[in-house]
Amino acid sequence: MATVTFDKATRVYPGSTKPAVDGLDIDIADGEFLVLVGPSGCGKSTSLRMLAGLEDVNGGAIRIGDRDVTHLPPKDRDIAMVFQNYALYPHMSVADNMGFALKIAGVNKAEIRQKVEEAAKILDLTEYLDRKPKALSGGQRQRVAMGRAIVREPQVFLMDEPLSNLDAKLRVSTRTQIASLQRRLGITTVYVTHDQVEAMTMGDRVAVLKDGLLQQVDSPRNMYDKPANLFVAGFIGSPAMNLVEVPITDGGVKFGNSVVPVNRDALKAASDKGDRTVTVGVRPEHFDVVELNGGAAKTLSKDSADAPAGLAVSVNVVEETGADGYIYGTVEVGGETKDLVVRVSSRAVPEKGATVHVVPRPGEIHVFSSSTGERLTD
Amino acid sequence: MSVIAADRKPASDRKPVSDRKLARAAASSDRRFAAISHALLILWSVIVIVPMLWVLMSSFKSTGEILSSPFSLPDHWRFENYANAWTDANIGKYFLNSVIVVVSALILVMLLGAMCAYVLARFEFPGRRLIYYVMLAGLTFPVFLAIVPLFFQLQNFGLLNTRPGLILTYVAFALPFTMFFLYSFFRSLPHDVYEAALIDGAGDWRAFFQVMLPMARPGMAAVAIFNFLGLWNQFLLPVALNTDQDKWVLTQGMAAYASSQVYDIDYGALFAAIVVTVVPVLLVYCVFQRRIAGSVSQGTFR
Repeated sequence: MATVTFDKATRVYPGSTKPAVDGLDIDIADGEFLVLVGPSGCGKSTSLRMLAGLEDVNGGAIRIGDRDVTHLPPKDRDIAMVFQNYALYPHMSVADNMGFALKIAGVNKAEIRQKVEEAAKILDLTEYLDRKPKALSGGQRQRVAMGRAIVREPQVFLMDEPLSNLDAKLRVSTRTQIASLQRRLGITTVYVTHDQVEAMTMGDRVAVLKDGLLQQVDSPRNMYDKPANLFVAGFIGSPAMNLVEVPITDGGVKFGNSVVPVNRDALKAASDKGDRTVTVGVRPEHFDVVELNGGAAKTLSKDSADAPAGLAVSVNVVEETGADGYIYGTVEVGGETKDLVVRVSSRAVPEKGATVHVVPRPGEIHVFSSSTGERLTD
Repeated sequence: MSVIAADRKPASDRKPVSDRKLARAAASSDRRFAAISHALLILWSVIVIVPMLWVLMSSFKSTGEILSSPFSLPDHWRFENYANAWTDANIGKYFLNSVIVVVSALILVMLLGAMCAYVLARFEFPGRRLIYYVMLAGLTFPVFLAIVPLFFQLQNFGLLNTRPGLILTYVAFALPFTMFFLYSFFRSLPHDVYEAALIDGAGDWRAFFQVMLPMARPGMAAVAIFNFLGLWNQFLLPVALNTDQDKWVLTQGMAAYASSQVYDIDYGALFAAIVVTVVPVLLVYCVFQRRIAGSVSQGTFR
């Protein structure tokens, strides 16, 4: 049980000038479940491997509890890791796989057996203890890898995309199991994934990385409601947030034929930078369709009274997921065509090829600087 | 096939018939191919096995019998041929020498070869490629050219005509091949298993001996067998470097035995000696041949 601190930890691979992880600064509380997420090549796995001691740290420090582990070998860090391909020892039985670390630590045989059996019971592996990994299914191998980590009762769990080799259904159920197991054991966990749904559902907090730089660390709720910049806004959420560059007008931004009010300070911050436009982010569920009695449209002032409010979206595809319908359409903003996703009620979906008008709900828009990508509204 | 044929019947009656014909033609060509390949295999087996059986049979005959009726069965089984070869021709002593030298060399070369291959395959350090290419040079260097320098080198070390001298030479002789075979094997082993061992608290030594080496077992077995066959049959090196008759290995003993009895040859005992020489090799091969085939395919289709 311990806290984990990345203190400006930096990793530069030999032969490269650009750091793979650049000054990573995260404080992870005792017992916390932190998820590192980002696109491939963003440095999330490298960060985890730095914490594991499998990757050198070229700058800054990493601490587990009060111990500086920056340059300690993996065996002295008191951590356990679950690998993407599980990395089970193929020549050992399941029980030996799980007990290997204890054997090295010099724990006596009876105690090893007892701990392995306890872990096997938790993970539903009791009847497979004498099998070799070869004779197990993917899900069982994954559980053995988990078991190998939990019998050690380490200070920190590290998990490197442990679910990516499972099929979709198993992935969802295992996700819940891992999260609840972690809460029960209360062991600080750092979890790496490229799947933002996994990140949002499992983590106490989520850290988004891009190009080796930390973009934002926050709770899943805040991550969704207040993305710190354009990258996070586009990365978190499925379908992704719509990002439209729109001109600034008096007291708001011009959204097609409507003026959407925006916090004055935000607009001032943008114009201080010399920007004449801002990028507005709207989640698919925060659009109102004018043709479907969109409530927001009536509250907004219009440029020309006779034209319909908002942006004209020509509908390309309509996806019905059962509970909702999603319109995938294109709009023309400032002479460019943009793709837009709008969530509508599944009871009233427009036809493919139709044109509908959408306006964002005023309180639900995110405003970002067009030049720096930073969030302007709070 | 039958479902399709049944579906088609109303549309055209001829089609299924022609399908069946085609199938029959395919089956008969398959059969012809099988017949030819089996005939060839049988022929090849006969070529290989008959001389061996002939040697085995002759090893139970007297010299007179071998010369007068070489292809008949022995009129009675003369096991004393083996006793004669074992004691009179000292085959027993040479057999023991061979076992000591080959087994010691084998253990050493497997240990050193595996460690060397592992380090070269999995660690980055300055001079790694240099060592690798020196090893490669060792593999391509003909042993005939090395005989004379080897002789003087062993003489200077005081190891000429000693078993340790021969063992060391065998180790050096077999090391490059061992290293190369295992090098590719260790390369193909997954990296994360090694990392898992490190995280589980293993040091480099334990990670090697308890995790990586067991994973390389199929490859180790294959190389060990190849090395055993090669070293057991080695003739040139012992002839040049091991001239003390008490320390002769089997191949030397056999050669001397065959040439020592120019006019009064005990053919039965000679054949018995050959059988004694060949049987360990055959045995090792038969027991492990599945392993060899398995390891080669495992090395390639991982």
